[in-house]
Amino acid sequence: MSNLIASQKVMQHYLSALLTEEEQSETVTLAEQKKQQLNALLSQAVVTEPAAKIAVKADVAADSAALAALKAKFARAEQAQQLQQRDIPVAERLAPAAPALATPPVKAAPKDYRQGRFQALFFDVAGLKVAVPLKELGGIHQLGKINSLIGKPDWFKGVMLYREQKINAVDTARWVMPEKYDQSLQQSLNYQYVIMLGNSDWGLCCEALVNTYVLEQDDVKWREAEGKRPWMAGLIKKHMCVLVDVDAMIDLLNRGLDISA
Amino acid sequence: MSNLTKQSAKKNDAADIVLQWVTFKLQEETYGINVMQVQEVLRYTEIAPVPGSPDYVLGIINLRGNVVTVIDTRSRFGLEPAEVTDNTRIVIIEAEKQVIGILVDSVAEVVYLKSSEIDTAPNVGTDESARFIQGVSNRDGELLILVDLNKLLSDDEWEEIRSI
Repeated sequence: MSNLIASQKVMQHYLSALLTEEEQSETVTLAEQKKQQLNALLSQAVVTEPAAKIAVKADVAADSAALAALKAKFARAEQAQQLQQRDIPVAERLAPAAPALATPPVKAAPKDYRQGRFQALFFDVAGLKVAVPLKELGGIHQLGKINSLIGKPDWFKGVMLYREQKINAVDTARWVMPEKYDQSLQQSLNYQYVIMLGNSDWGLCCEALVNTYVLEQDDVKWREAEGKRPWMAGLIKKHMCVLVDVDAMIDLLNRGLDISA
Repeated sequence: MSNLTKQSAKKNDAADIVLQWVTFKLQEETYGINVMQVQEVLRYTEIAPVPGSPDYVLGIINLRGNVVTVIDTRSRFGLEPAEVTDNTRIVIIEAEKQVIGILVDSVAEVVYLKSSEIDTAPNVGTDESARFIQGVSNRDGELLILVDLNKLLSDDEWEEIRSI
C-alpha cells in the first residue's frame, strides 16, 4: 500500500514537473536564443522575386495547354503507381527493407540536458536504480498485458497495446544485467510500469518509480569515451546510479543489441 | 468536400484493401493466417508418426484418401509442447504449392483487416522464427500476430516435406 502511494506521489511529481516551466525558464537554451536572432534577421529581410522565376511564370502562363497536359500526365502516373501498390501483396509491403543490423549507429546529437540544471526520473529494476532525463522521457504507463512475439531476443518482453500505440516492452533487468539474470531473478521480478524512451515505441519495464530529482551538471560524472557503453550518459554521483542516454539506447534496441554491445 | 478531395479519398479507400484472416491461438497469443490459404479446419485426429522425419513434422493424416503432413506449429514457433484438448485443431493450408496441416491450440474466428491496420513487427529478431511474422495489428485491444505461411518452412524444408 505504501509502495502504491509512493508511486502515485512520484507520478504526480513527474506530471507537475512536466507542466511547470519554472526550471526551464532558468535555462533558456542556446538554440532558442539563436532562433530568436534568426527571426529578427528574417523580419528585416526584403523579399525580392528572382528575374528567372518571373520569366518562368510568364512562360507557364503563356503555355497553359502544356501545363494541363503535364497535370494529366502526373495524374495518370499517380494512378498507375497506386494500382501497382494495390497489386503488391501485404507480405511484400511489410517486408523490412534491410536487416536492422545493417543500419549504422546514430551519431550523438547535443543533449538539452547538458546545460544547466535538469530533472531526472529515478526508477528501480531488480534492486538497481536507473535514471532517465525527464526531457527525454516519453511517458510512464502501468504495465498491461504483454503479447510475446516469436523469434525475438530474450530481453524483448513483447508488445503492449496502449490505445493506438504498440509499445515494445523491454525486460530491463535482462537487458541491463544479462549475466545476473537467472531463474530466481526472473521469478522475483515484479514489473509495474513501462518507462517510454523519447518518442520511440520502446519502453523499459520497471518495478517501482523512485522519485524525480533536480540535478546539476556537476552531479553527474559524464561519460567521455565515445563508443564504450553508448547507452550510458553518465553516473549520478550522489545516488550512485546510471543516467541513461535515451537516444543511444533506442538506437541499440532498434538494432536488436543489448548492454554487451 | 470538393470533387478533387472526394476522388482522392476514394483512391485511398481503394488502395486500402481489406483482407480476411483466420485467427488461431497458440499459448495465449492470437495469430492470423490469410484466409485464401486455408482449405479447411479439422478436429484433432490421430496423427501417424513418420520415422526419420524432421522434428517439426508431427506425422501424417489421411484426408479423404490424401496423405497430408502435419507440422508441429508450437515447435516451429519455439514454444513448449502442450496437451491435446477438445479445442485442438488441424488447419489444412496451402502454401508453396503444397497442402499441409498445422496443429494449433484452437481456431478463433475470421477477421477483416484493412491493410492500413497492419503494422510491421519490430525488426529486432535474429531468430529464424522471427521471419514468420508478417505484421501485427491491434484488433479490439488485442494484438493479432499475422503469420506468413510461405515462410513457415525454408525452401529446403518445403522440399523435404514434399518427399514425405
